[in-house]
Amino acid sequence: MATLEIEGKAFEVDGDGFLTKPEMWNEDVAALFARFDGIAEMNEKHWAVVKLIRRTWEEKAMAPMVRVLCQETGLKLREIYELFPLGPARGACRVAGLPKPDGCV
Amino acid sequence: MEKAINKLVFSTVQTPDPGSAPRDGKFTRGEIEKGLKVFENGGGAKLFTHLNSCVHCGLCAESCIYYKTMGDDRYTPARKVDLVASVYRRYHTFAGKYMPLLVNARDLNEDTANEMVDLLFGACTMCGRCTMHCSIGVDIAYLVKTGRTMLSEMGMVPASLQSTVKAAVETGNNMGIPTPEFVDTLKWMEDELTDELNTKEALIPVDEKGKNVLYTLNPREPKFFPLSISAMAKIFYAAGESWTLSSNMYDITNYAYFSGNNEEARLIAKRMWDEMEALRCSTLVLAECGHGSRALRWESPNYLKKTFPFKVKTSVEIIADYLHDGKIKLDQEKFKEAVTLHDPCNLVRSGGICMEQRYILNEFIEDFREMTPHGIDNYCCGGGGRQLAMSEYNERRMKTAEVKAEQIRKTGAKVVVSPCHNCVDQLTQINFSFKLNVQIKTLAELVADAIIL
Repeated sequence: MATLEIEGKAFEVDGDGFLTKPEMWNEDVAALFARFDGIAEMNEKHWAVVKLIRRTWEEKAMAPMVRVLCQETGLKLREIYELFPLGPARGACRVAGLPKPDGCV
Repeated sequence: MEKAINKLVFSTVQTPDPGSAPRDGKFTRGEIEKGLKVFENGGGAKLFTHLNSCVHCGLCAESCIYYKTMGDDRYTPARKVDLVASVYRRYHTFAGKYMPLLVNARDLNEDTANEMVDLLFGACTMCGRCTMHCSIGVDIAYLVKTGRTMLSEMGMVPASLQSTVKAAVETGNNMGIPTPEFVDTLKWMEDELTDELNTKEALIPVDEKGKNVLYTLNPREPKFFPLSISAMAKIFYAAGESWTLSSNMYDITNYAYFSGNNEEARLIAKRMWDEMEALRCSTLVLAECGHGSRALRWESPNYLKKTFPFKVKTSVEIIADYLHDGKIKLDQEKFKEAVTLHDPCNLVRSGGICMEQRYILNEFIEDFREMTPHGIDNYCCGGGGRQLAMSEYNERRMKTAEVKAEQIRKTGAKVVVSPCHNCVDQLTQINFSFKLNVQIKTLAELVADAIIL
């Protein structure tokens, strides 16, 4: 367990900085988490990825495949890696307020 | 107004997850007996020899990234060995049975088990570097593994690690990817590859029988990082290889190896053996995955008590073979920037696959720079032993990463290549956290970029 302190606000997170209570998430939280990862301002592309991840997780209880992210947002794979320097899992899924995915991420 | 500092603050008190380590309630007699049974079923003479041999010389301390970065005596590998050995002494030696305090023999109780969880799961990557440095050759990593097996028998595996094993056992892959989504991703990568190479021949075959090679993957490839799949497909295409993937069993990882649950490790390994038989391929090629290669190639014959009825190769070896046999050619002008190599512990120190990756890199990288130390003496990235999955110990993991960050920085390289997806993920975080400003790549990705068709 840990606390993530961003701009004077505190969030209860796991040791990797993923929200312990994903239901606490909203767009302000996303913007703050992104800033913690060095994304000063979320642009349209960031939002498209994050919202799709969040919607998929709310419907299916899992993060979407990166294929779905690319095909539904029209972004190239390499663009997604550039948008989120920590990658789709530790970067985008964390900003979308998901619990940390299992596996080598 | 004073600017707030953004930071991740760790609580010093661990909040126990129900049903997992650390433990609040008392063990039942049966749970303790299950833990102790490991000494009887474990390794016989080998286990007892290693448990009784440490001479406390302390040479192992400096070999360990935990001790090196935190300087806490508790992290000395010999202390981890002694934790397991003290329980052994309590139940299996005369002095330990009747004068336990005199010989530091400990009951297997909640305190001991919680300390074991903290040190054996939470402060060891099982990288085996201490084993290499041990003055008398105690297999320290093996004893840590034995301790983990005891904890597994007692239901004390950290929740985050157990959930990865559970996903693999229940769904067939450690990320729980549904088969149709897996197949769609392969089709998508195939379309991208045929477009890129402008040929309909560069395919990603699925479930084809009687091919030479059955290739495997780490589930993080189809889920989040599929460029390494198309990279390997491009290499197979260039080499004219007859190959296939399986949609039924493709996951090379075996995290039960790290949780210490030998029964689950056997089950996961057996699925891959069965899939080879079902698809009647002749060579199983292991994805760039250190522990997965170890669990399948070097451990699974022990799990299954059989010798391989098929050939097994890591992707590093098969790429080296293709180059050696002239089946692929690499553009020596492609990479001008300095490249360094991170050696995955399980592949290199444990598996002995050390020269193949260097042979490959020297074929096409003009400015290849070794880390110091490297090869079988290389430092772990900090993500091994399933540390990458265990959020509980993230603070320590990123502390141990200082060693690797410094090693990379000193090479001055702009690209870090590593034939292990787990290492690649840890290196990506190191790159970000320590602002190294390098590119992290798998070996297949680097090779595929330079291939001449």
